[in-house]
Amino acid sequence: MIGIATLLAGAAVAFGVARWLGLPAVPLLMLAGMALNLVGLVPPQLLEDAVVLGLTFLVFVAGLELDPRRVGAQRPAALRVGVAQFVLLGTVGLLAALGLGFDATTALYLALALAASSTLVVVRLLQVRQQLFEPFGRLVLGVLLLQDLLVILLIPVLPRLPRGVGVVALGVATAVALVGLAYVCLRWLMPLVVIRLGLDEESVLLVVLAFLFLFGGSAEGLRLPFVAGAFLAGVSLSAFPVNGLVRAQLNSLSDFFVAIFFTALGGFLVFPTAVELVQALVFAFLVVVLTPPLVTVLGERAGMSARSAIEGGLLLAQTSEFSLVVGLQGLVATQIVPGAFTVIALVTVVTMLLTPLVATDEMARRLMRFHPQRRRQMAGDGEPPRGHVLLLGCGENGMAVLEELIVLGHRVFVVDDDPGVIVQLRQAEIPALRGDGADRAVLERAGARHARVIVSTLGRPADSVPVLELAGGVPVLVRVFDDAAAQMIRRRGGTPVLVAEAAAEEFLEWYRAAEAAGALRPAGAEAAEVGASA
Amino acid sequence: MSEQTLVRDLGYILVAAAAFVLVSRAARMPTIVAYILAGLVLGPVTGLLEVTASVELISRFGIALLLFIVGLELSLDRIRDVGKVALVAGLGQVAFTAAGGLVLCLLLGFDLAASAFIGVALTFSSTVVVVKLLDQKRELHTLYGRIAVGIFLVQDLVVVVALTLLAGLGSPGTTGPLALLREMVRAFAGMGLLLGGALVASRYVLPRVFGWAAGEAQTLFIWSLCWCFLLVLGAEVLGLSLEIGAFLAGVSLAQLPFNQDLRRRVHPLMNFFMAVFFASLGVQVEAGAAVAQWPAAVVLSLFVLVGKPPILMGIISRRGYGERTSFLASIAVAQISEFSFVFAALGLRSGLVDESVLSLIAAVGLVTMAASAYMILYNHELYARARQWALLRPLRARQEEDEVPPARPRGHVIVVGMNALGRRLVERLVEHGERVLAIDTDPRKLARLPCATLLGNVEYPSVLEDANVAEAKLLISALQIEDTNNVLAYRCRALGVPASIHAFDRSVEEVLSEIGVSHLLISKNAALRRIFAELAREGILAP
Repeated sequence: MIGIATLLAGAAVAFGVARWLGLPAVPLLMLAGMALNLVGLVPPQLLEDAVVLGLTFLVFVAGLELDPRRVGAQRPAALRVGVAQFVLLGTVGLLAALGLGFDATTALYLALALAASSTLVVVRLLQVRQQLFEPFGRLVLGVLLLQDLLVILLIPVLPRLPRGVGVVALGVATAVALVGLAYVCLRWLMPLVVIRLGLDEESVLLVVLAFLFLFGGSAEGLRLPFVAGAFLAGVSLSAFPVNGLVRAQLNSLSDFFVAIFFTALGGFLVFPTAVELVQALVFAFLVVVLTPPLVTVLGERAGMSARSAIEGGLLLAQTSEFSLVVGLQGLVATQIVPGAFTVIALVTVVTMLLTPLVATDEMARRLMRFHPQRRRQMAGDGEPPRGHVLLLGCGENGMAVLEELIVLGHRVFVVDDDPGVIVQLRQAEIPALRGDGADRAVLERAGARHARVIVSTLGRPADSVPVLELAGGVPVLVRVFDDAAAQMIRRRGGTPVLVAEAAAEEFLEWYRAAEAAGALRPAGAEAAEVGASA
Repeated sequence: MSEQTLVRDLGYILVAAAAFVLVSRAARMPTIVAYILAGLVLGPVTGLLEVTASVELISRFGIALLLFIVGLELSLDRIRDVGKVALVAGLGQVAFTAAGGLVLCLLLGFDLAASAFIGVALTFSSTVVVVKLLDQKRELHTLYGRIAVGIFLVQDLVVVVALTLLAGLGSPGTTGPLALLREMVRAFAGMGLLLGGALVASRYVLPRVFGWAAGEAQTLFIWSLCWCFLLVLGAEVLGLSLEIGAFLAGVSLAQLPFNQDLRRRVHPLMNFFMAVFFASLGVQVEAGAAVAQWPAAVVLSLFVLVGKPPILMGIISRRGYGERTSFLASIAVAQISEFSFVFAALGLRSGLVDESVLSLIAAVGLVTMAASAYMILYNHELYARARQWALLRPLRARQEEDEVPPARPRGHVIVVGMNALGRRLVERLVEHGERVLAIDTDPRKLARLPCATLLGNVEYPSVLEDANVAEAKLLISALQIEDTNNVLAYRCRALGVPASIHAFDRSVEEVLSEIGVSHLLISKNAALRRIFAELAREGILAP
């Protein structure tokens, strides 16, 4: 009990610090684990149990999230970007590892460890920023899911490499067979068990966990790692609505086990030597510096806007929790030495800690300046227009306003910071300027002072302040999402368009109509029925 | 490798239990029984499973979480009103059952020492079994549930004293009335100390600390578990049971706004670990020895199942509680406890009884736990049957109900997600004269709303149950979380409740329409229309 209480206490402190400093919890949990190990309060047996169980649940829940529908229309793009990033970064990692003097097997492990990005960290950031549903959010999600899948499927391959192609092929074949089984469960068995049988919550949990261990056991029987089976068990539950019905219960299990896992894993780490530290920093540098341009280029090729591609690249610039799994497997199979595992863990800790600092709006904005299309577009524009409707931001709403205005034959001028959008507009011969709608110089060139009316759909309310200050007597409509922003805009002389208010009003219109049409259940329906039957 | 053993053991337990639950679905087998049967199959029957240190640890962990949940559900105020009846009934039950068991054992031909010993072992009821089932039935907070929990807490103290006394029997010179008194004082002083500490913390420390982390579900979750195990360790240091420590940890968090949410989060973890606990009970049975004792086992099991409840019922109804409450609370004690096993093992070690008594008690324990699981699960039906057959008339208990269950909201409009849109929807609907229930995961977002509120994550079915979605007029989600919205839409459709779901982006509309919702709240369109209206005012567009 003391051991488990200590592990929990370590995790509790790590979570506290993570919240305090606004950092991801995973690396802090590992640091806490390292510290606990120094104190020596946690028995080794418990550490092992915690790592094994934690790992099982980590991959299980990762599999559960693998619903391709969440990626939506971005699936083809995610496939291309995901595979390309995986292969390119893996190759760079392999070369770098060989260059740093690792042997071939260790280099392969390191390469696999570097290739994927962290679902835990990125999804959390996207959730907090409410960007999961934006096109780049979906793309990033797709990339992550794909990479998880690739890593899990490659983990069984590495330990077999020394034993020749035949053994590897056999391993892959059994893995494919198990994937097939998972698919059968996904389509037929799980909906039956989870939905049709009408079991209570606890029984559903019981059955689902039984499947987890059945799959894991089958994997072991087929000489695949237990975790691969656990992952596929998760996959077999990943179809809607089954995943939605079991997610809440499994998430609280995984919250616990994942916290314990990373803390216990920290307990396995040895202090790095100076050489290992340098190696780790080299790898971390490669990941953080190479990923953003790589993903940006790939993302734009796949049809994303520049801004989205850059944001996606910044978000993906870290190694994955599965990198730790890869390292752990290598360690268990005695194919890599503890030092190499420490390097992998260090790279993961460092890159994860950097992500929230690197993947910011500010950074994306700065990097936009280096975008090769920027200079071309900024040059060569003539006199600022006059008497036009100026649109700041051309996302979904901006575009719809634009279309309406064009149909009515108005003169319109668009400012957007996305090169992709600008190219599209210019092809349609709509005057447009690529730049930041919060930038006074840009606003001057867009003729903000002499516009007839200005419509701003810029993301952040503060971005609309410059145009309000500059525009003088020109009416400015600003789309905002909350009351505080609406007040701020009104104080500065603009007309806020509050999305929540507009939506609530529309809702109420529908509500009144639905009520009148009898589409809603009237209050006390049953009482009325009882009265009628009596 | 040792680590593989744990995963394999857990796998065996879960697979076997799941198989039992699925196969015996027609018999509506309680999960507890499935776990015990799984343990029997894996242990005595096939020998696949042994109780290792890791399994033992997980079992204890599960018990701690279970009692933690009970504490979260029952704040001190809620059990204070049943304190007196619990004390009288708990002690009275112990005295009467012990006496009855003693007489019965003497009749069965056991010697006096063994009879006395078995008599005491039969008095303990299993907190774990009962609380688990009451929690599953969501009836912990009812009057009879609270009385049952109160009785168990009293019994737990008795157990602590009995176990320490028995442990002392091995070493001469520590028995006698003085030692008994010392142990009693020690147990109660420890209890007082821990209770005081927990109360002070819950008053001055915990609200501030946990308030700081509000909205961070995972942080709150881990912190609460950490607090639970701190108090468990504290209880162990003070010589109290792990149950009491965990219970007090729960109680000290019970007055925080998110206690229900926390309970839901701890729940799956507890269920998982308790499976291991119950299975390990089954594993440890010495089947051969138990079979040899079957006549005694049957008689004693019947005594526990049928004899114990009337004793308690008499006591409780004498305290002025109504017939239904007395019946339901008494039914709950019709089993013996896992402590009875520990007690018997200690007795064996100190030479008071022989091996056969141990296996007899184990057999009685398993039979009564399994049977009473059914009794508790179907206790309301049993009550109806007992009334029908006039079995309860001799007790002459009060016929009126002690409490009327609070009316659940009906015909209300549920709004999920208190962002700018959710708050506005609530305001508009309240103005419109609707009964509104607002749900969010963050207590700060629920503050200062003009309607009823519920804290919780709607992905947990129990939150929707608490909100009584099934009888709602409409459910609206203002959330901008695609997965949660989809699940809400799906559940509403399954219940036939109209749903209006926020489609905050083009890309989420397709799936929602596929699931089938009454209304898509497309906020971007609404915003667009507002922009057009404003442009019309500026004379740019035709109105």
